[in-house]
Order: sequence, then structure tokens, then C-alpha cells
Amino acid sequence: MSKRIMVVDDSRLVRVQLNDVLEGTDYEIAAYCRSGEDAIARYDEIKPDLVTMDIIMQGMDGLDASERILKEHPDARIVMVSSLAYDDTFEKAKSIGARGFVDKPFHKEQLLKVFEQALS
Amino acid sequence: MNTAMTKEELEQLLDQAVQDVTERTAGVRLHQKDQSPGEDLCTVQITFDKGFRTSLTLCADTGLLYRMACNSFHEDSVSPEDLEEFSKEYFNVLCGRIAGAMFRATQVPAHFGPPEFYRGRYEPEGREIQFVLTYSDECCGGAQLIHHVPRSGESGDVSGDA
Repeated sequence: MSKRIMVVDDSRLVRVQLNDVLEGTDYEIAAYCRSGEDAIARYDEIKPDLVTMDIIMQGMDGLDASERILKEHPDARIVMVSSLAYDDTFEKAKSIGARGFVDKPFHKEQLLKVFEQALS
Repeated sequence: MNTAMTKEELEQLLDQAVQDVTERTAGVRLHQKDQSPGEDLCTVQITFDKGFRTSLTLCADTGLLYRMACNSFHEDSVSPEDLEEFSKEYFNVLCGRIAGAMFRATQVPAHFGPPEFYRGRYEPEGREIQFVLTYSDECCGGAQLIHHVPRSGESGDVSGDA
């Protein structure tokens, strides 16, 4: 059975790339959310196996949105997918309970490996 | 940029990021070549506001950005709005890659603001060009990545080195 992913990213480019990368894999994109607020509002409805979360978005950023989701759903599996792959971002993502970090633009192998680790 | 990196090291870092991100994002191979872009241009610009008080500007042939956008979105044609959206997203990812590489090299975090998109050539005010990397793709579309620093006397935070 495929794993359902909720993609939280305001970038159309990333949505297209994720579609490409996940085609033919055991993952399916269950929902796209364009903001952190949207992700929080829809998490209960979607009940994804995994969330991919951008960091810089209009409105609430991905770190705050992840923190809110994890507060209500401590078992949520969230992987940060961002171009901000540096300084304190890794540490902050880890400290709030994110299960992995993938920097953009991503490689398929790298992405799938992080997904697998996040779900294990 | 006062980063303890030489200008040559910074140029190499930027060049690697441009080539890698462009190929992976848009399936286009860019090579450094002394061929300036033509007349029909678009510009995307990002300002680094912490750590490095500089800006990066990509000035490219509209046709090159159009091809990159079509490739990325898997479309035969894209609208002007799509072109702008793509250009900003692509440059955002590119600058994120550059900021990450800068941080690994210098341990100085480099934060930047959202990308600005302009039709035509745009020169940021109060800044001067430190260096330009000029690229071309296999269809002879040209692009320039321009590294701007504050004009001398406008900031005490920038040395002659990159």
C-alpha cells in the first residue's frame, strides 16, 4: 500500500518536481498545501503518512507550522524540504521533531532515502 | 562579501551552484562563455541582508528563461506570469544553494530576502558590480550572474575581498 504524502510548499516548481520524482514509487501525493496555515487546517482531514514541509512561505513559516502540527499530532512524520540547508535551520528542525531534512533542488535517491528513514 | 574567501573562490562557488542548480531544476546546461545576453532580457535579484551585505542579480535572455520554465513545468509554452513565477523560484533555490555553500565555507549565516523580478535589465541602487559570470546554453541563450557590493563608503562591512 502506498504511503500518502502531504506536500506543503508554495512553489509550483517543487510540486512538479515531487510529482516527477515520486512517480512509480510507493509514495503518492495525497494533498498539496500552499501555506503552513493550510497544512495545519488540513492535517486531520488528510491524515498523511508523511509531510514534506518547505520553510520559507507566505504567512506562517514551515518550522512554526511543523511545531503546531507536532504539538497536536506528536506521531506526525515531517521532513523539511528547503533551500535553507544551513546554519541553525537543521538544528531548529530537529529540535521541534522533524524527521529529516532535504535541500532543494533534491535528488530522487536522496529524497527517498530520507522518506524511508522518516517512516522507519 | 567580507567572508575570508577570495574573489576567485567565491566565483568558483557561484559557478558550481549555477551549473548544478540550473541543470537539476531546468534540465539546461549552462557554460561560462563571453557572450552577453541580447536585448530581450529579464532580471531577478536577491539581496543578502544578514552576514553578507551584497546582492546577486541574474540578467538573462527571456528566451533562455522561457525554455527553462517550459522544461521545469513540463509545458510547451508558459505565460508571462509563469515565467516570472519560475524565475523567482529558480533564483530562490539557486541563492539558497549559494547561501548554504557560503555558510559551510565561512560559518557566516547568509539570509536573503524574497527575489524581485524585472522585465529588462535592472541595476540595484547604491551598489556596484564586483564581478560578472557570463553563461550561454546550447541554444545560445545568454545569462549573467552579477555580484553587487555596496558602493565604497556606503557600508563599512564589505572588504575588497569577496
